[in-house]
Amino acid sequence: MISTKNITFSYNKDQTFIMPDLYCEAGSTILVTGNSGKGKTTYLHILAGLLQPKSGEIHIDKKEITHLKGSKADKFRGKNIGVVFQKSHFIASLSVLENLEMASWLATGKKHKARAKELLQKLDISEQAHKLPSQLSVGQQQRVSIARALMNEPKVLLADEPTSSLDDKNADNVIELLENLSKEYKTALIIVTHDSRIKQKFTNQITMV
Amino acid sequence: MIGKLAWKNIWFKPLNTILSILLLTASVAIITVLILVEKQFEEKYQSNLDGVDLVLGAQGSPLQLVLSSVYQVDDPTGNISFDSVKVWMNHPYVKKAIPLAYGDNYVGFKIVGTTPDYIEKYQAKIAEGKVFEHNFEVVVGADVAEKLKLKLGDRFKGTHGSAAEGEVHEHGEYIIVGIASKTGKVIDNLILSNIPTVWQMHHEEGHEEVAENPAHGEPGHVHHEGEEVAGNPAHGEEGHVHHEHENDMTIDEPNMEITSVLIEFKNKMGVFMWPTLIAQNTKMQAALPTYQMNRVFDMFGVGINALKYLAFGIMLISGISIFIALFNTLKERKAEFALMRVNGAKRHQLLLVVLLESMMLCFVGYLFGTILGRIGIVLLSEASESDFKLGFDPMEIIWNKEGLLFGLTLLVGLIAALIPAIKAYTLNISKTLANA
Repeated sequence: MISTKNITFSYNKDQTFIMPDLYCEAGSTILVTGNSGKGKTTYLHILAGLLQPKSGEIHIDKKEITHLKGSKADKFRGKNIGVVFQKSHFIASLSVLENLEMASWLATGKKHKARAKELLQKLDISEQAHKLPSQLSVGQQQRVSIARALMNEPKVLLADEPTSSLDDKNADNVIELLENLSKEYKTALIIVTHDSRIKQKFTNQITMV
Repeated sequence: MIGKLAWKNIWFKPLNTILSILLLTASVAIITVLILVEKQFEEKYQSNLDGVDLVLGAQGSPLQLVLSSVYQVDDPTGNISFDSVKVWMNHPYVKKAIPLAYGDNYVGFKIVGTTPDYIEKYQAKIAEGKVFEHNFEVVVGADVAEKLKLKLGDRFKGTHGSAAEGEVHEHGEYIIVGIASKTGKVIDNLILSNIPTVWQMHHEEGHEEVAENPAHGEPGHVHHEGEEVAGNPAHGEEGHVHHEHENDMTIDEPNMEITSVLIEFKNKMGVFMWPTLIAQNTKMQAALPTYQMNRVFDMFGVGINALKYLAFGIMLISGISIFIALFNTLKERKAEFALMRVNGAKRHQLLLVVLLESMMLCFVGYLFGTILGRIGIVLLSEASESDFKLGFDPMEIIWNKEGLLFGLTLLVGLIAALIPAIKAYTLNISKTLANA
């Protein structure tokens, strides 16, 4: 589970974002919506520990993370937070399977090949395991991203506009997958989006203004 | 895992990689060849100089005299009178004087008239048989014996001059009485006899000059032989080797010539005094081999240095090529690096990936370069072996210099990767991902 309290952030003196508090139980989903430029992605980066907030607290599994610095923060992030981005990024020179193994190795020092294969199976892309990511379709790539985000059994799964570059059918699939998997793996799922196709599916919403 | 990633990254852009490796290979190969050749060359030339303080020979180029007398690579400058050089050979300053008389070759291997001291000077042993004693007895060097498959008791005819294609002496047959042990020096490629053998073999040419001397009137050269045999039935059935044996020349023969003398001094003052002394008092010259060879090395040095600069230049270019390749791909790989950080990668792990990529390239380049260089030496060795009887050993590893080269290659990789690596280290993850 993840909860935040009084998070503020500023890139410079003139503009300060005040982030809404949120609370998300393991296995449930929160949608963070809002128009462009309202700091959705910034908020997600703060939650992922990629940006340091000016003030406030973030608790993930009862651990306060805003004070974590350097490699401790890297380690915590790798182990406890999975992120799915709008555009899929991969290590281009590694195969799909190796990309998953690398995600696991960077966080835990172990490759967990069996788990990687299981996830690929579950996401119906096990046939692509030995291809390079660039050889996959956009929809397949997004599914590999999800598999990678779940590799280390994170407490929190963050998704940044996961559907914006997908067609209706793929978007539906991805949302369904995210929801089902977060329930199955007891992960708190936070989706940041302005995609109206998703908004109607979730009741638990926070809008940034 | 980081190493594996770096390795896979290298081969993800094979053209960039191959260019960088090619450049590195070329520069490392050139430098390796230079290191090995320079050292082995100097070593060989130095070892042949042991025990030779000065060379006495006919006037002409002192370098030519040294090259021909000590290294057997050039033609001699001419002949000197043995009678007049004897005075100097018995000079109180002299510890050892080894006379050399050239004339013939056998399929390209020089036949040198000398004394057994010559064999001793090169620390060669008589591996089989004995030292030459009588005329036409020869000791063959280890390489000659091996290459021509010669054994004790074999007989052969010499060819006049230093080229294998010269005129064959029909009237004299050499017999092998000894085979020298291998020394790695010029003696391995020589056939050695005593001095009178050379005189006797060439008496034909000397004949006209000494015609007035009745002592020389009779003995055999080919043209005479027929006439003689006709007029002298006692010699009728005899083979000509035997015939000549009866009229053997000795070292005490007057008015004869030799090619040069290798001098080792008891009193090293001779090194300074003799060149002027000889020039003022005789028609000969005294050349100092160390001084002459240093001149050669100085001349070579310019060429070797030019090649070295070229090779280091190529290495610099390969460093720049690696830098450009890494720097360019860094733009594409920013998102990749940011993603790795999201997955829990630490800053220094990204630094490591970039450095490793560059240094692996350099390692592969060095490996190929050192192999290619040694292949080059094998080829070079074959050429120089046939031209100068000078072989190079491709398997020798000169640890300090080659180690330095290895270190330098890795350093090039390190420096080329430094800026891209630091950029990866200081990457702003959030900004990169937000803009991607």
